[in-house]
Amino acid sequence: MIQFEHATRTYGSKVAVSDLSLTIPSGELFALLGPNGAGKTTTIKMLVGLLRPSGGVVRVCGHDLITETRSAHLHLGYVPDEPYLYDKLTGHEFLRFIADMYRIPRDLSQEYIKREIDRFELHEFANELAENYSLGMRQRLVFAAAFLHDPDVLVLDEPMVGLDPRSVRIVKDLLKAKTADGMTVFMSTHTLAMAEEMADRMGIMVQGDLKFLGTVSELREQVDVETRSLENLYLEITSSSTERQRELSDDT
Amino acid sequence: MQNQLLDIPQENQLSRKLRRTIAWNVVTSIVRQSRFRFGLVLVLSLIFWAAVFCLFYDAFNFIDSMHAEVMSLLFNTFFSALMVMMIFSTGILMYGGLYRSAESSFLLTCPLRAEAIHAHKLTEALWFSSWGFILLGSPMLIAYGIVRDAPWSFFIMLLPFIVTFVVIPASIGSILCMLVVAGLPRLRLHALSISLAVAAIGILWGLWATFGAVQSQLLTAAWFEETLSRLAMTEQVFLPSWWLSSGLLDAALRGESRELTYKSTLEALNFLGLILANALLLSLLASWTARWTYRKGYSNLQAEVPIRRHRQLFWLDELLSRTGSRIGNPIRLLLVKDLQVFRRDVTQWSQFVIFFGLLGLYFYNLRSFNYTHVYASLIGHLNLAVVGLILSTFTTRFVFPSISLEGRRFWILGLLPIHRDQIVWSKFLFSFVGSLVPCLGLIVLSDSMLRLPWGTVFVHLTCCLALCGGLSGIAVGMGASMPNFRESSPAKIAAGFGGTLSLVLSAMFIILIVITVGFTNHFNLLQQTVGQLQGNTANWLLGSSGGQVASILIVVPGGLLATFLPLVLGIRAFRKLEP
Repeated sequence: MIQFEHATRTYGSKVAVSDLSLTIPSGELFALLGPNGAGKTTTIKMLVGLLRPSGGVVRVCGHDLITETRSAHLHLGYVPDEPYLYDKLTGHEFLRFIADMYRIPRDLSQEYIKREIDRFELHEFANELAENYSLGMRQRLVFAAAFLHDPDVLVLDEPMVGLDPRSVRIVKDLLKAKTADGMTVFMSTHTLAMAEEMADRMGIMVQGDLKFLGTVSELREQVDVETRSLENLYLEITSSSTERQRELSDDT
Repeated sequence: MQNQLLDIPQENQLSRKLRRTIAWNVVTSIVRQSRFRFGLVLVLSLIFWAAVFCLFYDAFNFIDSMHAEVMSLLFNTFFSALMVMMIFSTGILMYGGLYRSAESSFLLTCPLRAEAIHAHKLTEALWFSSWGFILLGSPMLIAYGIVRDAPWSFFIMLLPFIVTFVVIPASIGSILCMLVVAGLPRLRLHALSISLAVAAIGILWGLWATFGAVQSQLLTAAWFEETLSRLAMTEQVFLPSWWLSSGLLDAALRGESRELTYKSTLEALNFLGLILANALLLSLLASWTARWTYRKGYSNLQAEVPIRRHRQLFWLDELLSRTGSRIGNPIRLLLVKDLQVFRRDVTQWSQFVIFFGLLGLYFYNLRSFNYTHVYASLIGHLNLAVVGLILSTFTTRFVFPSISLEGRRFWILGLLPIHRDQIVWSKFLFSFVGSLVPCLGLIVLSDSMLRLPWGTVFVHLTCCLALCGGLSGIAVGMGASMPNFRESSPAKIAAGFGGTLSLVLSAMFIILIVITVGFTNHFNLLQQTVGQLQGNTANWLLGSSGGQVASILIVVPGGLLATFLPLVLGIRAFRKLEP
């Protein structure tokens, strides 16, 4: 469903993502972890078509993000870390706009909009202008919009920021149910516990390189310290890579 | 569920529906929440429109009686200048809209064609860049039609002519913008600065070649004719501005017979067709450019490495923060902070430099003209009013929202060992001192170029001092009395009820100051130049030195009142504030 084939992205002389090859099949929830500046956001921007890879290919449901952008976007749902809403549209009008954009027939779209409003408990403010929404309300509406057209691939960038515990629960349950139905979820997060709880596989990225790819248990095996927490393992991987990089740059 | 891609008409329909819904929501929320502001804007716009109409009506009557053929030249000059300005303004607006807005990032992740996003943003840019043209052009052209007793078809054709014409420079600006971003990502800034510099030099050269290098004596009939002949360069048949002015002139022509009128109307329709065809072709080219370059250009721009600059403490900041007594230290530190923010906020200082720079340029050029004392005095007062009005727009736009913007960082200020009053005072001092230096400089420049007597210069400087204090006091005081901590955009804070009220109060204060001093000073000059203003006791009294002194006695307390009353009220409100 998601394919990165030797995807590379440079910013000037700096390599933000280096030769990333990764395939995420349908029905998998993949979590991408890494410290600040590791290349997570660049990877996500390439995946949603905002950035073109300097080299390599990124595909969604078999569609190349550069040559078949619209077809790829038709299968995508995206929840960015800083969601955009039209301040002068109500929540209901925004969902209507999204439904029209995906050409959902009128009779179905009414039903879908109602479904998402119920699911994310938007009733109270669905007819208010978005300019009056709190961060949590905005995030819930963006989730509703992302799920409205039942995408095959859902991309989430730090998805739980601003959500209250109840909404977090709703989102987690929904993600589990949707992946069970075949949806592919690509999630970037700093919350290790969340990745541990939700992800089928995870990747740890450090300075543009995918340092680890596998399940939590594979991660534990690789580091060979069964008793330690995921946090310690994560810190070990990221710090050793960062130090190695620093040593290399000192040498040069 | 199998989603489907939208076809081209559906994408356009979606964009139209979005804009319609947003426009409706904006209008209804303004009418519901800001009736005062809405009413004020409407009334002021109507007054402006009527004033421009009257001005052009008189001007066209004057020109019509002298040289009917001059009209063609004036229209060509006006529309060609407008075309150049619109190319630049649309280019800049499209850069912001296509490459820097959050909306474009959102739309680029949706299953829309690049052309559809471009068309959506171009329509938006067209509105922004052409509303001035409509506000200024419509009274001008209607006045022209009435003066020339144009047939009814002229008035019908006005809107199609304007709408089709604005698409041409807008499309050119948009194409240039996309090509620069896509083709020259690394050289973007350099390319942009060089092209702007070349354009500025070209415009200055054009102005100099047209007005400056004229051999005949200034403002004589020969000078006028020579200048007009130089303006003939705008009458090039390949320019869309020429098609527009020729079309409008033909449309306004009422022939001696029905056939002649019909013939000239047909000719006008030909020009309209020509403009329409070119507008469609250019919008198609812009659409193609978007298809091939927009996504690539956006990606290139995203991948650009931001320049990280290590910012050091500026000597003025260090001087301000280290000198003086310890008692005033918090205010000085807040001033240093505001100074740093001002210097690093390009929007603020660039507008400040552009507006005051243009005024300075205009004042400097006043020396080229030989005015009589009476005219010089009148222009001096008008210049004082202009300086005040421009300052009031700055105090409303940038100073009024400054307290509200501090609210978002209130937890920082709240934890510091400073009194709330000091925050308000620091804002006032920043605005007052910051405006005093350029405004006094401009008034001295204006009055010296007009060769006004020292007494008048002294009166103007006193007024300027009162204006700087009063306008800063009103903006800071009102900002502290009516803060808006929910909004992060200073433009939106300034556009609210408090900002509008502050602007109205500022305008009233300027009018009070300028009229009070203007009348007495002007009459005084008349009395000195022409002799006693006999036959009118009131004028004679106004024009005496006593009248001048009396006006100063009104201006000084008026300025103090406008400065301290809003400040005191603002400080009181700010003390009680619970953000």
